[in-house]
Amino acid sequence: MNRRDVLKSAALSALAASVPLALPRWSMALAQDGSRIFTLAHPAGFPDLDPATSFSNDGAVLANVYEGLTRYIPGKDDAPATVAPVLATGWETSADGLTWTFKLREGVKFHDGSDLTAEAVKGSIERTTKIAGGAAFIWSPVTAITAPDRLTVVFTLSSPQPLDVIAASGFAAWIISPAAFDKDNAWFNAGNDAGSGPFKIDRYEPGQRAILKRVADYWGGAPDGAFDTAAFEIVEDAVLDQNMIEGGQADWTYGLAYENLDALKANPDLSVVVNPSFETLFGMYNTKKAPLDRPKVRQALSLAFPYDDVIAAGTSGLGSRAKGVIPSGIWGHDPDAPVPNTDLEAAKALLAEEGLTDSNLELVMTYATSDTLEATAGELWKANLAQLGITLTLQPMAWEAQWELAKSDPAAAQDIFVMYWWPTYVTPYDYLFNLFHSEQSPAYNLGYYTNPDYDKLIDEAAALSGTDRTKAEAMFKDAQRMVIADSAAVFMLDKPNIHILRSDVKGYQDNPAYGHVVFVNDLSR
Amino acid sequence: MDLVRYTLRRVLLSAFVVVGVTFLVFVVAQVVPSDPAALYAGPRPTAEQIAKARVTLDLDAPLPQRFVRFATAMGTGDFGVSYKSRRLISQDLAVYLPATLELAIFSTLLALLLGIPTGVIAAARRGSWLDRLGSLGSILSVAMPTFFFAMLLQLIFSQWLGLLPLSGRLSQQISIADPLPFVTGFNLIDALMAARPAVFLDALSHLILPALTLAAYPAGIAMRLTRSAMIEILARRHIVAARALGLSAPRILFGHALPNAVGPALTVIGLSFAYALTGAVLVEIIFAWPGLGRYVSEAILSKDFPVIAAATLVVTLCYVVMNLVIDLTQTLVDPRVALT
Repeated sequence: MNRRDVLKSAALSALAASVPLALPRWSMALAQDGSRIFTLAHPAGFPDLDPATSFSNDGAVLANVYEGLTRYIPGKDDAPATVAPVLATGWETSADGLTWTFKLREGVKFHDGSDLTAEAVKGSIERTTKIAGGAAFIWSPVTAITAPDRLTVVFTLSSPQPLDVIAASGFAAWIISPAAFDKDNAWFNAGNDAGSGPFKIDRYEPGQRAILKRVADYWGGAPDGAFDTAAFEIVEDAVLDQNMIEGGQADWTYGLAYENLDALKANPDLSVVVNPSFETLFGMYNTKKAPLDRPKVRQALSLAFPYDDVIAAGTSGLGSRAKGVIPSGIWGHDPDAPVPNTDLEAAKALLAEEGLTDSNLELVMTYATSDTLEATAGELWKANLAQLGITLTLQPMAWEAQWELAKSDPAAAQDIFVMYWWPTYVTPYDYLFNLFHSEQSPAYNLGYYTNPDYDKLIDEAAALSGTDRTKAEAMFKDAQRMVIADSAAVFMLDKPNIHILRSDVKGYQDNPAYGHVVFVNDLSR
Repeated sequence: MDLVRYTLRRVLLSAFVVVGVTFLVFVVAQVVPSDPAALYAGPRPTAEQIAKARVTLDLDAPLPQRFVRFATAMGTGDFGVSYKSRRLISQDLAVYLPATLELAIFSTLLALLLGIPTGVIAAARRGSWLDRLGSLGSILSVAMPTFFFAMLLQLIFSQWLGLLPLSGRLSQQISIADPLPFVTGFNLIDALMAARPAVFLDALSHLILPALTLAAYPAGIAMRLTRSAMIEILARRHIVAARALGLSAPRILFGHALPNAVGPALTVIGLSFAYALTGAVLVEIIFAWPGLGRYVSEAILSKDFPVIAAATLVVTLCYVVMNLVIDLTQTLVDPRVALT
């Protein structure tokens, strides 16, 4: 063999190595056996599939596998928000709001074949409160659960609370089969389930996918052309998610870059569904540290915030102006709340009143690393504040570190704490209590706001919200206006919920009470 | 005999490295400002939940006591539970490690097959268009950022030509509707064991682009190293003698010159194998490859300390073993390398 042969064989082997393995493009609509598959390109993994402790993206899977007693249906246009029956068919509350009686649905079976009974409901909630992880605190007003007959559950409360709404929570309110009461966290995270929902977990490959299969004889039925399989493909790269939905390998996704949405909207194969979410972005002012302990200084900063620019630049115009901390769609939302508009002149005048003209004031704003919307808001605000002679230092931090700093000494902590809030269950009290109610040691009231009148008002409103929701709502609105008048926080924007799905999918409805959950049983093709 | 003693000594030294790394991991975890209890308690925890997690994780015990417990657990392979996935870390590793190993082994083979022969040919045909083309290729493959190269490959082979899949380890129709039983975690091996040639080809086609991306850098460097070493060796007298004796060109190149020249290239490729275990994060993310790099980078971002510790230990072991293997291979290939 001479040199030429060497080259020839090298070239040949290189050619052989690169022989293409031709693959047909394959659509995910049908499996080989003709069953229907709904594929979700999910940009986040599922940290905890235990229905007692799940408190994150895992709700997307659990909401298809488990059911609660009720479900929250947000208000739309002029229709008010309602609580719809699921495992409960009806419920009533005593005049003092302290006793709630739920009637359960007849003929519901768990995936293991056992029947839904009052004991199952009692045991599920008791398991959740005993483990006391995740969102178990939603049951803290409940002092006792009894099961007077097979299909009746009675809750006794220590204070009047809207238990129908609490039971609709997307976390910690799932009802499980009695056979799983003694199972531990690891059992659930190995891919086992004990639900009564339309789907059961067939396979769980952490970090990769969860495959859900339809159960036979689901009590709620299903539309014609309903899906047999729900496949959650965990794909963290947004570009890949977009590729999958455009190519038909996925039917639903979210988390794509805002600037790509126009192109997606123009694609006839896709629907881009934009709704307000229950997630709101705000910055809490450190009310315990000079000069932000003066309401007028805080008010000036809020007047300098570029509300419309942040919505335009940060969310491609899809977000909406926040009217306080309670987003639209939740009862207690105040569409006419007197929130400030961007007005640099007014801000300047207020600062002059406070003797802070050309004060070279320096403020630190902390926010979560890698959150681009928070960063955009910070940058634009910083530019406006610079015109007022205020230097805003943007301090991105890992969430735990940001939180740790805020929970330490308020005098040494940040000036402005930027974060999102979303409700564990749908009540204005969740926002108003956690963020602005006085706290001995701060947990989430990270502007350290204290106002005894405010505390009293929201506590009274909460007590009324089980029995007289109209009155409670008016009181919550008044309380929120107190916070606005005191400029305890800058209410940046309400985040939009943007979901992209293939346009041949029928029956899709966004429900912001459950974040990025798709109720696959409602869908068909 | 020398070989056995040499190996034993190296293993002993390696043990020190492993213990040292374990200690460092522990120290770093104490220094980093974060509260493991708050992490463990999950999103938006209450004060009581954090206090409870502190007890569960035994965070109030004195430091030395905690180190001993930590080191013992690591030593026995009991890595504990991930804060983030809430699963046994050993269980998670059993899924992620084979995925990464499969990719790393395949890309290392590619780097060997691409880098070394092209280096030899370039040296043999020094100054020719082949040499220039090879040099250009190697510079490109070294200079191009991984993520860019990955996306370029995706664009060409997947989007434009439609020859190879965009991402993942298996096609969705297989992974969703007709999964492969999990035996070793290596899809190629599992497919063969299940006697499913179509799945084997599918897995192979998914491997090519990420493996090529990963192989580019070590292959480029190996090519340059082999070429320069070969040029030097080819000028030596024993090669001239071999030529004079009328030995065939391939025999001279691959039989007499290459063994003397291949050492540095082997080292680079070997180390890049170990690097690929956790350093391939970008490749794994772009190709949605569920591997160790992605697992660890997520753990780092969420300060999932037990996972970081376990993965560090596993990767250290891989490095140490790989180093040993490279050194031993070199002594076998090149007898001049002394066993000291």
